[in-house]
Amino acid sequence: MSLFGASIRRKEDPRLLQGNGRYLSDIKLHGMVHAVFVRSPHAHALIRGVDSSAAAADPRVVCVLTADDLPAGLPPLPCIDAEETTKPFNQPILATDKVRFVGEPVALVVVEGDRYIAEDIAGLVDVDYEPLPAVSTAEAAMAPDAPLVHFDSNVVDVLEYSVGDAASALAAAPHTLSERFVTQRYAGTPLETRGVIVEWDEPRRGLTMWSSTQVPHSLKATLVGYLGLPENAVRVIAPDVGGAFGVKLQPYPEEIVLGLAAEQVGRPIKWVEDRYEHFLASTHGREQYHDVEVGYDDDGRILAVHDHAVTNTGAYLQRLTLVEPFIGVSMLSGPYVIEHQQLVSTVVMTNTTPLNPFRGVGHVQAAFTMERIVDLVAAAVGVDPGEVRKRNMFSKDVFPLHRGIGNVLAGEIIYDSGDYQECLRRAMAAAEWDDFRREQESARAEGRYMGIGIGFFVEETGLGPYESGRVRVEPSGQVIVFTGACSSGQGHDTVLAQITADELGVEFDDIVVMHGDTDLVASGVGTYASRSAPIGGTAVRHAAGSIKEQAIRIAAEMLEASPQDLELIGGEVRVKGSPASSVSLAQVAGRVAPGQPLPAGVDEYTLDATDVYHPPTNTFSYGCHVATVEVDIDSGVVTLLRHVVVNDSGTLINPLLVDGQVQGGVALGIGGALLEEIVYGDDGQPLNANFMDYLVPAIGNMPEMVVEHMIVPTPLNADGMKGAGEGGAVGAPAAIANAVADAVLPFGAKITETPLGPETVYRALQDAS
Amino acid sequence: MSDHAVTIRVNGVDRSESVPARLTLADFLRERLDLTATHLACEHGMCGACTVLVDGETARACLLLTVQADGSEVTTLEGLTEGDKLGPIEQAFWAKHGMQCGFCTPGFVLTIAEMLDDNPNPTREEIIEGLGGNLCRCTGYVKIVEAVEEAVSLRGGGA
Repeated sequence: MSLFGASIRRKEDPRLLQGNGRYLSDIKLHGMVHAVFVRSPHAHALIRGVDSSAAAADPRVVCVLTADDLPAGLPPLPCIDAEETTKPFNQPILATDKVRFVGEPVALVVVEGDRYIAEDIAGLVDVDYEPLPAVSTAEAAMAPDAPLVHFDSNVVDVLEYSVGDAASALAAAPHTLSERFVTQRYAGTPLETRGVIVEWDEPRRGLTMWSSTQVPHSLKATLVGYLGLPENAVRVIAPDVGGAFGVKLQPYPEEIVLGLAAEQVGRPIKWVEDRYEHFLASTHGREQYHDVEVGYDDDGRILAVHDHAVTNTGAYLQRLTLVEPFIGVSMLSGPYVIEHQQLVSTVVMTNTTPLNPFRGVGHVQAAFTMERIVDLVAAAVGVDPGEVRKRNMFSKDVFPLHRGIGNVLAGEIIYDSGDYQECLRRAMAAAEWDDFRREQESARAEGRYMGIGIGFFVEETGLGPYESGRVRVEPSGQVIVFTGACSSGQGHDTVLAQITADELGVEFDDIVVMHGDTDLVASGVGTYASRSAPIGGTAVRHAAGSIKEQAIRIAAEMLEASPQDLELIGGEVRVKGSPASSVSLAQVAGRVAPGQPLPAGVDEYTLDATDVYHPPTNTFSYGCHVATVEVDIDSGVVTLLRHVVVNDSGTLINPLLVDGQVQGGVALGIGGALLEEIVYGDDGQPLNANFMDYLVPAIGNMPEMVVEHMIVPTPLNADGMKGAGEGGAVGAPAAIANAVADAVLPFGAKITETPLGPETVYRALQDAS
Repeated sequence: MSDHAVTIRVNGVDRSESVPARLTLADFLRERLDLTATHLACEHGMCGACTVLVDGETARACLLLTVQADGSEVTTLEGLTEGDKLGPIEQAFWAKHGMQCGFCTPGFVLTIAEMLDDNPNPTREEIIEGLGGNLCRCTGYVKIVEAVEEAVSLRGGGA
């Protein structure tokens, strides 16, 4: 039986379960010193001066660096998806004359001893701030007299996309409805915070940086640029990463400052973010509202949509800040045929922590907005929500489907494959929709309010531009897989070994997967946008395929046969039809070890192949969530009953691991639907930057969960894989919000925002009565 | 700041050190003894990643000062493993995919160890109740519950 597609246990786990994980904070180097960042306590302030003399006078201080100590003309943090129209409100590496959010780094203090001492001394750095009026919401930031975060205007950009003629179609539509839908600010909050160790490497005339990052190669490229070093002088290692969810997908200012300090300090420097810092200084996501007008007919067919989304993107552009505003509107229509769309996305700066993508970026808001609209239309025309969805959905024969919208980073949106109607049908069946309706009715008669809701989504996955895979066979017979994709818990070692085992027929235990080290892997990108299986996995598949060809060429001489008569099966090259005549891959690798003449027609002393796979375009996974809830009308408390997901991520390498991805994504979505919100005061002060006041879902928040898979392979890569990392987080808030809305339907309460905490639901009920 | 002499039996070995009063037990284990399976995720007692056993009972190593643990017996994840052999809880986590990034896992394993010592055959409700103080951001907890049920059966409990 092939390992590909099998639910096997992970390679990674025994080591981690024995306590032999090696996360960033576990690493200790000889002579290591400790760093603390001095951060702004103000949301908005001028810096009149920094007096570090008291700190510098302490004999334990190794160095204090402020913006003045950094090389002149250092460029600010880059944003790689800025459009030509995007105002360049980028973040300086350390704050210069002004701070713009609480937590913005102002100075680096490096201290001999430990983190305790480093924090003591960092407190001695005296920054003279002159506080300025601050603004923390997008609406306030767009007011005519709003404090300006940068200069001239707080609006960074207004992105516009359109297909058809929405204005005319709306004017001609039999019915229209308008509503505002609000998705709050929340964040990935991995259990492991960020952290960095940097060591100047004198023989290399460069540095090694360990970082808890999703993108070691991007970080390397960034350091090469900022430090003016050649590529060979910088090595970045991502050790075991304790969760990331997008929060660790960009090079951060701390990494650049520590890189710049490395040579001067000359000793390894360690910095590990604490949880409070993480809430302030690691990127947030989501905060976006949509003002939507839709036109529809008597049958509930949606004819046109006008959507104006506004994103509070925080104080600075980050590497991929425009993904949230772009995806939020461009993926709005999801699985639905809406011929006329006018989409406007306004990006607004405030004095809050910057936004960057995290798990389900933009799609969460798009699905929440669209799925609420569909339910409102269904209610307005008096047709079941499932039936209205079916009437509006694309059929399975439309692919590839050009959506006529795109951006600089992702290219045009072209849906590759799927069967949305079947997915909807299966999800409603698994949720026992009709039975639930009967149960709901009898519960209502008893004064209990249950609800059921659908959250359908289509999601851009498998993002390029490329990923690398390299496969090498050792004379020991072990197969080494190198990739630029790297794990933050997904199980890369396991699934890439499954692909390799499938291609070469070698034993799973004879495969070693190495990633997260730029010295081991020449080129790579990293892990985000549900890309490691479809892009990284495809690169590994191709590289292993080349190994197969090479092995057959080498074995031809050994078996005195012509290559076309040979096949690679079970880790052996055999003569077709006479399996007794065979050589193992180990023998083949030994035959091209140096110190002997090469076989005829073979020109390399190694059994080694690399593929850098550039996908033609992105894949589009989709799924249907159906949530059931009960709402306590007196308190507004929502209790989740059951959560069904039918998901199509294309071909599955390991269903057990994909189930885990979906379940974990749903948990994150439940956080977004009911619990999680990063709250700022009007003055820009964060009000709940800790796990006591910011509620991450705990085990007691979880409903019964049912996950099923539909498999419609994409034609875009060899194995038909579409990416599975994020969909769980995307569909859940929409489904739960629709279920809550359904539960409170008898009261006419409007459900238009998340998180649906007790107060929000209670107020909606009060407002309706 | 003067240091204080402490002797703590960690994973069966007496460790005598001189520590500042403010040193947390978690930092003592991680920085002084290099027992890095005890993870710090929130450092304010909310996530349970740093859970260890102190005299057989779960404790948050981030909220306990080392001096408070003087004279105690402390067990960390490293103390549950004998050589390469995984214990039943760890085997169950592996079999059921009860972990992804692994950062919260040591805290879960120790919490479950205490739970199953007290109650070798918990109901699903008791499992959920018992794990209410440990946060996992990756798994959605579904497979953690399955792992506990598997551990119950590996330990010879169950129906």
